[in-house]
Amino acid sequence: MDLSSPKERLFRTLDKKSTDRKAVICPGGMMNAAVVDVMTKCGHILPAAHSDADLMAELARDVSKETGFENFGLPFCMTVEAEVLGSEIDMGTLECEPKIKKEVYPHTAEVEYRDIKKMLRQGRIETITNAAYSLSKDGDIPVIGSLTGPISTSDSIVDPMTFLKELRKDKENAHKVVDYVTDFLIEYAKQLIEGGADIISIADPTATGEILGPRMFGEYAVLYLNKLIDAIHETGTRVILHICGNMKSVDNYIPKMHMDAISTDAMVNLVKLKSKYPELTTMGNLSTFFLQTHDADSVATVTERLVAKDIDIIAPACGLSTTSPIANLQAFTSTVKESR
Amino acid sequence: MAKTKEEYLEELSNAVVEMEEDDAAEIAREYIDEGHDAYEGISYGLVDGMNKAGELFEEEEYFIPELLACSDAMNRGIEVLSPHIERQEIKDEKIIVIGVVQGDTHDIGKNLVALLEEVAGYKIVDLGKDVPPRAFVDKAEEVGADIIALSTLMTTTMPRMKEVIDILKEDNIRDKYKVIIGGAPVSPKFADDIGADGYSANANGAVRLVQELLG
Repeated sequence: MDLSSPKERLFRTLDKKSTDRKAVICPGGMMNAAVVDVMTKCGHILPAAHSDADLMAELARDVSKETGFENFGLPFCMTVEAEVLGSEIDMGTLECEPKIKKEVYPHTAEVEYRDIKKMLRQGRIETITNAAYSLSKDGDIPVIGSLTGPISTSDSIVDPMTFLKELRKDKENAHKVVDYVTDFLIEYAKQLIEGGADIISIADPTATGEILGPRMFGEYAVLYLNKLIDAIHETGTRVILHICGNMKSVDNYIPKMHMDAISTDAMVNLVKLKSKYPELTTMGNLSTFFLQTHDADSVATVTERLVAKDIDIIAPACGLSTTSPIANLQAFTSTVKESR
Repeated sequence: MAKTKEEYLEELSNAVVEMEEDDAAEIAREYIDEGHDAYEGISYGLVDGMNKAGELFEEEEYFIPELLACSDAMNRGIEVLSPHIERQEIKDEKIIVIGVVQGDTHDIGKNLVALLEEVAGYKIVDLGKDVPPRAFVDKAEEVGADIIALSTLMTTTMPRMKEVIDILKEDNIRDKYKVIIGGAPVSPKFADDIGADGYSANANGAVRLVQELLG
């Protein structure tokens, strides 16, 4: 076993074992690194690659090769789950990621509970599974399958304002919907893992302290994210969880969550978080705004500072802009790789 | 014993803060049956409650689910009271055309701004999300708006804000409207750069901004 292969390094980091240096990754999904520069240079482009397994795998290879991120990240959007569960999707353009055109249900009480096994054969689930399979043959580079978390997927199938209200006002149906969505995500994750995904990454941008507040975060986000993570752990697969926002009102919940690494947005001080909860494996968190708007030299300088800090995995803080220059991403990853 | 008007106003306010929709509607009906003024019921009762909810939101006691539930309670009360408002009391109302710019569908922030502006007494024309630049201008012209409010959460859609202002300039109607912008990636500097009239970091600030701009 090569301890310094990107896959082994990332596994060892997630297992809290020593490594030769820090890994630098970008997991896909919400943290999609398929920037316009990569696509125009290599020719495997979006939106076509959202729905074609070969193109998707090629684009994931291009991203890893051109940016230097030490993983393959799939898919390139956050709409796969909602599409299968019935919402209308706008597949976006080269530079604009897909989005929910219309949530399928007006209220949680109206959600239709469908057969999960059947849904796994619908939409783009097989496309992504096949792409993961193809990438898993490449060997040393970890394939990360990215999920949209249970709260965000629920508010992509139920009108989001109504959904947020019903977390309080119709708890029975809200819990039923999020539980159903979680069961679906578990089966989807298992299929990705069977297909070849080495690690599952979950991003749940609606599940933040700023949107939900601490009570709802505890009642819904912690419960269902842990249910999802536990089920993925049963397959022996490691899980990265990304929490958006400043986390101030919910950081006491973080040690109660079962992920192998926590990734956060740029405003979170990961060093402080880790000194408060030393058991955490942390990941992050270079400002994606900085990555988009500054030059490669300044990116290298701030990356050096980031690498020197007590942060376990180096990554962009949140969703990358699709117009981030390729030179900046290369400066980011190569600075990490040159460090020891 | 009959309640005083002040007691009713306090109960209306509390029903909103406590997120009790049915109570808000019930108290509003009693209030009208007792012959009290509908406009005051809204502005000193229901809106007072919503303002308190807004303060709790700023203090991080309430979060978005709570704020939305308060707004539902307020709207249930308004449904009861508004048919009883004497028309001249609202003849002078200012109009805000608001929406999330094209390419972006994140509308929680925009909805909060629309809600609080409405509470503050402005008429809201909400174009929703993913709105093309031209649609803002056409709607503002159609309804005779005072303010055009643009929102985005994403850096990739920020240029759409400038396009709205450019269309206003091309059509020689830039001075007819105050254009305000908000959303996570934009800043006061960006507002200056594109020639907007104002920026706010949050919904409460947006209300103060509109009040300042409309003097």
